[in-house]
Amino acid sequence: MNILMLSCKKASALIDMKSVRKLSMKEKIMLRMHTSMCDGCTAYLKQSKILDDLLHKHIHNTTENIPVIENKELQQQIISKL
Amino acid sequence: MQNVIDTSNSTATIKCLVEMYSDNMYSWALHKTSSKETAEDLVQETFLAVVQSFDKFKGDSNPKTWLFAILNNKINDHYRSSYRKRVVDGDAIFETLFDSNDQWKTEERPQQWANDTEHLLDNNEFQQTLHHCLKKLPDNWFSAIHLKFMEEKNGEHICQELGITDTNFWQILHRAKLQLRKCLELNWFKK
Repeated sequence: MNILMLSCKKASALIDMKSVRKLSMKEKIMLRMHTSMCDGCTAYLKQSKILDDLLHKHIHNTTENIPVIENKELQQQIISKL
Repeated sequence: MQNVIDTSNSTATIKCLVEMYSDNMYSWALHKTSSKETAEDLVQETFLAVVQSFDKFKGDSNPKTWLFAILNNKINDHYRSSYRKRVVDGDAIFETLFDSNDQWKTEERPQQWANDTEHLLDNNEFQQTLHHCLKKLPDNWFSAIHLKFMEEKNGEHICQELGITDTNFWQILHRAKLQLRKCLELNWFKK
């Protein structure tokens, strides 16, 4: 295989690497070449961004309505140690 | 909330805070960690910290906000140590998704998600699906995700804190995202 051609496994790794560090020029070009020919990785490129966005919002979400679960035992235990 | 906190009698006041908020705090910690034991420990640790630093709390901010800030710090600490503890061999995910030439297997090849993804999180059912998929990840994969998105730090900073290599951290994030994508596709987008 051409040394400039990435496998899908490597391309998907570079796609996720993008959210951790900047890609080098060579990596960018190789990824661009790959995605121009590969539907799967093009879809993954979009989905990786969507995942970042969803995860960011999900993990920071503090307004979610969490059902309140009573735990009287825990309450008593903490109070007894005060 | 007004200055309802009387800081002169700390034990009685803390007891009152426990009665008012421990259920909310327990529910939140359980939601975040999915473990009854961990959630109980974290709430106990939070009140221990409250006892120790009560004189620093002047009663000028909402006590609930203060309690949850401490609790959220404890939750982050929990994920830091859980990330360090467990090492999962994650190569299985690559074997599931890619063929021997490292190309997507036909049935695993990502396809465009048709739905409008912008407002997905407004949908309760989707929230639950995402929560379910996150909880299915190995513990330290989820910890990596939690740390990455909670702390708004780049990989390098988290790695320094955790004493791990950059490569290791993003490899884990990468595997976690591949697995999560697959889970969401199966349980949501293709449903």
